[in-house]
Amino acid sequence: MSEQTIPLPAASASRTVPVWAQHLIVFVIFISIWELAVRNEWVSRLILPSPFAVIAAWWDLAIVKALIWKHFFVTLTEVVIGFLLGAGFGLLMAILSAMNMTFRRLISPYMVALQVTPRIAVAPIIVAWLGFNMEPKIAIAAIICFFPIFINSLTGLLQADDERLEMFESMRASRWQVFRHLQLPGAMPVIMAGFKTGISLALIGAIVGEFVSASVGIGVLIQRFSFQLLLPEAFACLIMLTVMGLLLYGTATFADRRVIFWKSDDLVTKSARKLRAKHAAMLASRADAKAE
Amino acid sequence: MTQAINLDPAARAIKDIVTATRTGMEFPGPVVALEDASFHVKRGEFVSLIGPSGCGKSTLLRLVSGLIKPTAGHLNVFGELIAGPRAEIGMMFQKPTLLDWKSVFDNVLLPITLAGTVKKADRERALDLIHLVGLKGFEFSYPRQLSGGMQQRVALARLLNTGAELLLLDEPFGALDEFTRERLNLELLRIQSDLDATILFVTHNIQEAVFLADRVFVMTPRPGRLAATVNVPLPRPRTIEMTKSPEYNDLVFNIRDTLGGFI
Ligand SMILES: Nc1ncnc2c1ncn2[C@@H]1O[C@H](COP(=O)(O)OP(=O)(O)OP(=O)(O)O)[C@@H](O)[C@H]1O
Ligand SMILES: [Mg+2]
Repeated sequence: MSEQTIPLPAASASRTVPVWAQHLIVFVIFISIWELAVRNEWVSRLILPSPFAVIAAWWDLAIVKALIWKHFFVTLTEVVIGFLLGAGFGLLMAILSAMNMTFRRLISPYMVALQVTPRIAVAPIIVAWLGFNMEPKIAIAAIICFFPIFINSLTGLLQADDERLEMFESMRASRWQVFRHLQLPGAMPVIMAGFKTGISLALIGAIVGEFVSASVGIGVLIQRFSFQLLLPEAFACLIMLTVMGLLLYGTATFADRRVIFWKSDDLVTKSARKLRAKHAAMLASRADAKAE
Repeated sequence: MTQAINLDPAARAIKDIVTATRTGMEFPGPVVALEDASFHVKRGEFVSLIGPSGCGKSTLLRLVSGLIKPTAGHLNVFGELIAGPRAEIGMMFQKPTLLDWKSVFDNVLLPITLAGTVKKADRERALDLIHLVGLKGFEFSYPRQLSGGMQQRVALARLLNTGAELLLLDEPFGALDEFTRERLNLELLRIQSDLDATILFVTHNIQEAVFLADRVFVMTPRPGRLAATVNVPLPRPRTIEMTKSPEYNDLVFNIRDTLGGFI
């Protein structure tokens, strides 16, 4: 059998305090200092709410009144749809640019213009165009995450090494086959890295859109609570955004690992085992054929 | 390990598979990678190419494969001026050039995948080739799980799966230990006689060059030139015992002297 086990680094075993406990300790210290600072009036309660006030506000908004979730899911929807649009369009443009040099040359000035213009500045214009519902936020999220995804995907698609390209050429592969079997899979690590950057940017885009003008969304809540100096509530909303960001980034990281499974010893071993099981009958029959 | 060779009768009748007439290759720089090379390679012949690093061995193979076009002279392959890659020509590169996202099995199947649909017989043949190069147990491993030498053997299996009749191998066994190299050398010779294949084989190893070849082309650098052609009159099939014969050792020393004179 070909399965090899790779021993884990011994470091984690030799530590006396487990990693999660270390993180917990740091977190508790952090919260304690924060609480102390507010309780002893080192900073004004008006500027920095105490952690317990934030938790109480969150409890009120999320559980008692349960009004935060509507906003949470509106923002999440804007981010996800915006990201999918930006990523889809970015990937498509990258593929067209990689396949066609003329296309690449013709669009490159616009891409540079898009890169150097602060894309957040288009937010008010987009709102003016698309109104006050989810559409402008989706569009802003898409525009902001488009660029890094486009650039990453194009870089990835153009990076296939000469020797592999020549290998395909010597096998007389078509343009499409080179793309399908060499360029696209070879570019996946870089494309996925672009997606990871893009998803965080899409969140920024949606919030900016909500700041400009909206009636629903976490961005709206933060703005409203801040204006009313309800800082515990504003902080509670901020925490919801952190959670959303972690959720999105976590999903992207998870997808990244699966898609580029060939970079991971574990996943490669798993995949090899699966293939071996799938072709077991053929393997056995070939072994018999040899023995005869 | 037999397979049909898809050549029309006219092409089959050609005795010289490769004919180079004062072939030269100059890269922008300018670098003269190959100058004034004239030679023939007959059907079924095994030719080793030997010479110091940078003398144009890879360039010569890439010319014959049709990947690049000569800047001087003529180069005929299968009786035609070479104009680009052909199905009858298979090339194995200096680096394994495997696809990291495909298993050994799928890497070996690549030539079939590119040529059309993969049938059951193709899959079985791919497995047999993997076993032939000594990778039993690694059929479904991925390149990252293999050593450099094992990857090179996958590349050899892939080359054999192209069904090509003219095989161009660029230092295929450089990364292998002496023992595996010896075994694969014998396999290669067996495959060659089975397929009636013509082989151009680049190596840095003089013993290996002599052991395998009917003729050894000795090349020299700056500019890349064909300095000498050495006939190897040892009988076939070759056996490891022949490497003890005085005849074999004389040939090895001759070539070493020829090379030494140029370095
Ligand atoms: N694409 C290229 N552009 C410019 N110069 C090149 C190119 N390819 C090869 N050369 C030059 O041509 C010469 C011969 O190169 P080649 O790769 O054929 O050598 P080699 O005999 O295969 O060497 P090695 O044994 O190290 O593989 C070298 O001087 C190299 O720098
Ligand atoms: Mg070389």
